[in-house]
Amino acid sequence: MKRRGRGIACMWYPIGFTASANPSAAVVKVNEDGTATLLTGTVETGQGSLTVLAQIAAQALGIATDDVHVVSADTDTTPMDTGAIASRTTYVTGNAVMLAAENAKKILFEVAAPLLGVEPAHLEAKDHKIQVKGFPQRNMHIGDVAEHARGVKGTPPIGSATFNPAVLKLDPETGQGKPFATYVYATQIAEVDVDDETGEVEVLRIVASHDCGAPINPMLVEGQVEGGISMGVGFALQEEMLFDSSGRLINPNLTNYIMPTSLDMPSVEVDIVDSYDETGPFGAKGVGEPTCVSTAAAILNAIHNAVGVRVTSLPATAEKVFAAIQAKRAQEAKLVTAG
Amino acid sequence: MAKVTITVNGEARTVSVPPETTLLKLLREHLNLTGAKLGCDVGDCGACTVIVNGKSVNSCLMLASQVDGFDVLTIEGLATTDQLHPLQTAFEEKGSLQCGFCGPGVIMSAKALLDEEPDPSVERIRDALAGNLCRCTGYSKMIEAVQAVANSVNSHPSVKSA
Repeated sequence: MKRRGRGIACMWYPIGFTASANPSAAVVKVNEDGTATLLTGTVETGQGSLTVLAQIAAQALGIATDDVHVVSADTDTTPMDTGAIASRTTYVTGNAVMLAAENAKKILFEVAAPLLGVEPAHLEAKDHKIQVKGFPQRNMHIGDVAEHARGVKGTPPIGSATFNPAVLKLDPETGQGKPFATYVYATQIAEVDVDDETGEVEVLRIVASHDCGAPINPMLVEGQVEGGISMGVGFALQEEMLFDSSGRLINPNLTNYIMPTSLDMPSVEVDIVDSYDETGPFGAKGVGEPTCVSTAAAILNAIHNAVGVRVTSLPATAEKVFAAIQAKRAQEAKLVTAG
Repeated sequence: MAKVTITVNGEARTVSVPPETTLLKLLREHLNLTGAKLGCDVGDCGACTVIVNGKSVNSCLMLASQVDGFDVLTIEGLATTDQLHPLQTAFEEKGSLQCGFCGPGVIMSAKALLDEEPDPSVERIRDALAGNLCRCTGYSKMIEAVQAVANSVNSHPSVKSA
C-alpha cells in the first residue's frame, strides 16, 4: 500500500567567493533621451540575470527597467566578467552595475545642482527626473540633465565601476577565515507517497523557503527555485550516469538517462524569506545553485518518514527503496523469531 | 529525390528532398523554419514538436514524404506581425521559459491540447507536456500559463479561434 511521509532539509550556500580575485565590472551611460545603456560581460542563460541587472541600474537612476538597454557578453565592447557561475551574478555583477550607475548619477547631480539651486547632496533621481529631495516639483528631466552635462559642461554622464569581494586568504594553519562574501539559507519540505510493495516513490508536494536577500525580481526567484527543485527531484529519484566495466558511459542519451518530466514534478510552493543584505545591491544576495541543494535530502527524509528506511545512495530508485524495505522486514522478522 | 507538397502555416509549399529527409530537416533546412529545434533527433526530448493535421508530433520521427498533402503548423504560424498567440503571451507574462530551447515544442504541445480540449485539468496539461523535456524551469510556470490561457478562452469564447 501507499504510505505517506514528510521530510525536511535545510542548507546554507555561499555567495561571492573571496579566496581569489572575483571581479565584475560595468559601464552605465545615461543618454540624452533619458534612457541608459549598460555594458556588462555577464552571460544570460535564461535565468533572467540581464533583467535583474537592468532593474538594478534603473532603480539607481530613477528610470524604468525598459529604458535600460543592456549590452552583454561581448568582449569587443563589454568588460570581461568572472562568469555566470557560482550564483554570483546578482551579488557581484549587480553590485558593479549599481556602483557604475551611481557614478553616472553623481555627474548628473553635479550638473543639475547649480541649475536647481541646491547642493548635489540634496538631489535624488526618481520618476525619470533629477529632483530636490522633499521638493519634487523642483526638477529637471534626466535626459535634459544628461544633454546639459554633455553639451554645456563637457562631462557626459558615463559611470564605470568594479566590484570585487575583498580577497581574504584562509589561515593556512587552521583553515579558518571568511571564504565568501555572504551566505544564503533555505529549508525545503517534501511530501511523498511510497508504495511499500514496489518501492516506487512519488513526490507530491514541495514547500521551499529561500532567503536570497531582497528579491530584485520575485517571479524570477520563483522560477529559479522551481527549476532547482526539478533538478533535485531528478537527483533524488531518477538521474544516474551509468558506466560499464571499461569506464564507458552506457546511457549517454535521454532514453536511458531519466530526468523529470512534467508528470514527475510535484506541486511547489515557494516562500521568499523577507531579508536584506547590507552588502548586496539593494539588499540582494543570490538564488541560482542553492535551489537544488535541499531537495534530495528532504525527499530521502520523507521516504524514511513514510516507510522507515534509510536509502544512502542516489538516486533512490524503486529497486533500492524496495530492497531497503525488504531488508527491514527481514530484520524485524528475525527479531520476532529471536524474541 | 522525393517531391513533397505540404501546407505549412497556411501556405502551400512544394519541395524536392532526399527520401531520408525528416519533417524536422525539411522545416529547418529547406523551408528555413528554425523554430522547431533539433534536440535529441530520436523522439525523446520534444524540442522539435509541431502540429500535423491537428496532432502534436515529434517532427524528427516523421519523414518528409509521410506528410505529403498534410497540414503542418509550426511555432512560426502562431503569432502575427502585430500580435502574439495567447499561449505565447501567457508564457511571456508568467516567465514560463528560461533558456527557451524547449519553448517552441512546449507551446505547440500545449496548443494541440487546447485545440482538442479547451478546458483541461492540470493532470491533462501535465500529460500533454510529458513529451517535452525541460532542464531549467521545473515545468511549474508552463503549466500555470496553459491553465491561464484555458481559463481566458473559457471566459472569452471569441479568443477560441486564435
